[in-house]
Amino acid sequence: MTTGKERLGRRSSIPPKFVLIANLLRAFASKVNLPKNAINQGILVLRSNPNNALQVVRQMSEHRTMHIKPSRWSWNRFKDFMHFYIMLGAIPAALVITYINLFIGPARLAEIPEGYVPEAHEYFPHPITRWLAKHVHKSYQQEYELMCHHIYEIEYEQKLRQAENRIKQKMAEKQDTQAYYYQPVSSRYERSIRDNAQADLEISGSV
Amino acid sequence: MEDPPSLNDKSNSYVEFIKAVYRTVDRPVTWLREKVVVPNRPDNVYYHQKFRRVPTIDECYTDDRVCHFEAQQQFNRDKKVDGEIVQLVRQRYKECLIAEQPDHTRKCAKLQADFLKVSENFCMKYADLGPLNNVKDAYMKQKHRMLWERRHGKVGTGMKNQDAL
Repeated sequence: MTTGKERLGRRSSIPPKFVLIANLLRAFASKVNLPKNAINQGILVLRSNPNNALQVVRQMSEHRTMHIKPSRWSWNRFKDFMHFYIMLGAIPAALVITYINLFIGPARLAEIPEGYVPEAHEYFPHPITRWLAKHVHKSYQQEYELMCHHIYEIEYEQKLRQAENRIKQKMAEKQDTQAYYYQPVSSRYERSIRDNAQADLEISGSV
Repeated sequence: MEDPPSLNDKSNSYVEFIKAVYRTVDRPVTWLREKVVVPNRPDNVYYHQKFRRVPTIDECYTDDRVCHFEAQQQFNRDKKVDGEIVQLVRQRYKECLIAEQPDHTRKCAKLQADFLKVSENFCMKYADLGPLNNVKDAYMKQKHRMLWERRHGKVGTGMKNQDAL
């Protein structure tokens, strides 16, 4: 912040009382939130000095002040979200749904004609539900039959396992069969443990 | 027999005025809908789905899990349909009560008996079995009720003495 005392050039011959007041006023003006105080002060100013000559004074220290105020980041973000969800979400959805309800409209109920098997999407009245049933969702019959098939497969495997366990138990009880059976062995896990231990050794230097 | 007199037969200038105010809004809207909007719509049709009957749980083998699944699904559908039937009977009874106040005890007796019978049958089949629609639980409930009725007589006539059994 410059005061009158740091200016180049000799002090003028104005009485000291007025100089003091002028300096006070200048200091006050420089602190007030005026546009002129924010202007980049790299300009040259012509001043008159008591020797009747113009003197160039470079005002190099700027009177830029920082405007201390609360952050508007949240408010701006809120406005962004509002615009995004309303302009791109609510309004297009409302327009599309209004158009569909007015110009396509819900279906009317009718008896199933003789010998005709309706498709899955013909069991719903609203056009949007019909579209979803036709292009997106699996039909009730499809999911039902998928489940039936899944249960059939699972049940088959269960019954095989149950039969196997019964046979093993009988063989263990009676000990009278000539079937020498063995436990199936796989060395996949031992190899994996060995490889991991080797990698650990290389990385860390110890097991 | 001629219809009893109805409030709709009478009219006065106030009622006519209110009807006219309603018509100023209703007429253009109805005209637009009937002459412009509805004829330009495609005539789509929808149906109520009809399901084939499959074997019930008492006709399934104990190890036939697919049969159990199909019986369970049929039970769920039947429970929903029976629930709607009870709702319809209840709604009719309620409407009679509201319309026939204060003579409801006399005029709605038949509907009341119907509603009690229908809800009793529904509860005999589906009630007190927990939140999951388990068809085997409902089947066992039926079996236990039949055993109880064999030992003690009809439900509602009291339990017989244990020594006498």
